[in-house]
Amino acid sequence: MDVLSNLMSGFVTCLTPYNLWMSVLGAFLGTMVGILPGLGPSATMAIILPITFGMNPTPAMIMLTSLYYGAMYGGSTTSILVNVPGEASSVVTAMEGYQLARRGKAGAALGLAAIGSFVAGIIGTFALAFTASTLAEFSLKFGPSELFCLVLLGMFTIIYVGGKGITKSLMSMVIGLGLGCVGTDIVEGQNRFTYGIAELLDGVDFVILVMGTFGIAEVLESAEEFMKIEPMKVKFRDLFPKLAEVWSVRWAILRGTLVGFGICCIPGSGPTISSFLSYGVEKTVSKHPEKFGTGVMEGVAGPESANNAAVCGAMVPMFSLGIPGSGATAVLLGGLILYGLKPGPLLFVENADFVWAVIASMFIGNIVLIVMNLPLVPLFASLLRIPYSLIYPAILIVCIVGAYAVASGLFEVGLMLAFAICGYFMKKADIPAAPMLMALIMGPMLERNLYQALNLAHGNVLVFVQRPISATLLSILVLTSIFVAVKRARGGRTVQETEE
Amino acid sequence: MRKADRIFGIIGLGLSFWCYLESTKFHYMTRFTPGPGFLPFWVGVALAILSCYLIYDTFRRTPSKQDNKKILPEKHALVRVGGILLLLFCVRFSMPILGFPLTLAVFTTAVLFVLERYSLVKSLGYGIAYATATWFIFEYILAMGFPKGLLGI
Repeated sequence: MDVLSNLMSGFVTCLTPYNLWMSVLGAFLGTMVGILPGLGPSATMAIILPITFGMNPTPAMIMLTSLYYGAMYGGSTTSILVNVPGEASSVVTAMEGYQLARRGKAGAALGLAAIGSFVAGIIGTFALAFTASTLAEFSLKFGPSELFCLVLLGMFTIIYVGGKGITKSLMSMVIGLGLGCVGTDIVEGQNRFTYGIAELLDGVDFVILVMGTFGIAEVLESAEEFMKIEPMKVKFRDLFPKLAEVWSVRWAILRGTLVGFGICCIPGSGPTISSFLSYGVEKTVSKHPEKFGTGVMEGVAGPESANNAAVCGAMVPMFSLGIPGSGATAVLLGGLILYGLKPGPLLFVENADFVWAVIASMFIGNIVLIVMNLPLVPLFASLLRIPYSLIYPAILIVCIVGAYAVASGLFEVGLMLAFAICGYFMKKADIPAAPMLMALIMGPMLERNLYQALNLAHGNVLVFVQRPISATLLSILVLTSIFVAVKRARGGRTVQETEE
Repeated sequence: MRKADRIFGIIGLGLSFWCYLESTKFHYMTRFTPGPGFLPFWVGVALAILSCYLIYDTFRRTPSKQDNKKILPEKHALVRVGGILLLLFCVRFSMPILGFPLTLAVFTTAVLFVLERYSLVKSLGYGIAYATATWFIFEYILAMGFPKGLLGI
């Protein structure tokens, strides 16, 4: 009942005209980002973040969260109409959605994707409200040693679940930890890696890193080859699927919601993995798995529900433990720090109004999105006709403005460009940038908690195995690492045997 | 990808050595807790191990399709990417001279005219429009206070 009354007070806060406007703005921007290939939600949120510095944290976070799930809604439009996923999480939707569109069912596919996303968003937000508050209550028992183990576990889970090569992901994470060392250290107040540069005393700002490695690097990669996109035309009256079609995919939507939310509560999994898993589940439970790939409604509804529920799932560890579940939630977490809030279990105690307003706004945002997405799809699709050569200079300008706004200096602009070059080559070498970003945010937390835990224990390192919660967390980390190492060794042998 | 992995491995080794050198400037431990040199030291060690493994793996593994993939794009694409980066660096250094709106107008015009082969008139038009819109939103409405150039704008 507590959760429901908190939600009600959250609604009171988020239903003010200004907060509602922020929700609509975020949803609109998110849908555009989802539709236009070449810029993901993480980069867009990072670009917008410095502009929100002057705002109150509640409307700022309402806008950023609605942008995040708005991108999930929008991603399906390009997947279905042009077979070009606007987001990585919409790749699966393209497989079935585009086939449906070719058979003249583009409207039904778009409608089902929107309805699936809406249902998943609403159920996912309810689940987020209950799970995050319960988890936060439990994690109030955590001291520095537990938090150290939790951050460590979170960082490694991101690597193990992330999907890319483990060695490269680990390297990216270690580089991120190194970047986190830049600035004044917390133990003796010494300046590390600063070389007399005053701008580096506060460390490397994560916004600069995100805009460089995600924003500009993504633009550079997209600028290599421009696609000529000709979206299919959809009439307004075709956008609403028949009731029988919606009823036929009801279980797919519910399964997608369950898979998306459940998987994304684990840090590192993200909407992309959950949409692929949901597609796999749908194919497995289907009576006609051979039809998958030819345009099956369940293949659109399931993954689209999964990637929207995944957004809510990824916010569970972010709100309750202060651990980002994905690149996008890492940006949101960084945003919380920039707004002067303390992410972690205490957020639900010290800033309860803020958290519940943001969670309540997700219900509003989902309603805004379904209203916006169903009738406005033809309008959004027409955005695809704008040549990318006109879009990318605008994105670059906003990145420059964003970098400048971080500290009102041109040093940050230069640093962002340096990160952009690194990010571009990292993309070329298939090295994920997300672990670096997460380590940059979580590295200082890790160091601070290690320092505090050992200080309280008078230097006794056994404190991490003597306390039950930290010992459990460490055991999970060790067991997971062994499992991953064994799996990797076996996988390598199997590949070799197959090749022989 | 093998070549890329080897290059990245060597860069990683360089970075690890840098971290190690930096860590030697500070205390590794204080009385009870790790000192400022602790984390850079272990970052260096971990990076060195991972870099060596990455390089070793390129010699050990059987070449896959991914390994034969070209890392860098075609020449024309590379020129475009290089051009964008060069223009971005020009923005960084010309902003204190030209001022915020003029720099952005020149940047957009240059991108569209030189790299995207738009006509000069169209490029100028877009350049002025983008710069005016950006100035209006960020300077006029949000009062972000951008650097002024020699012309006072």
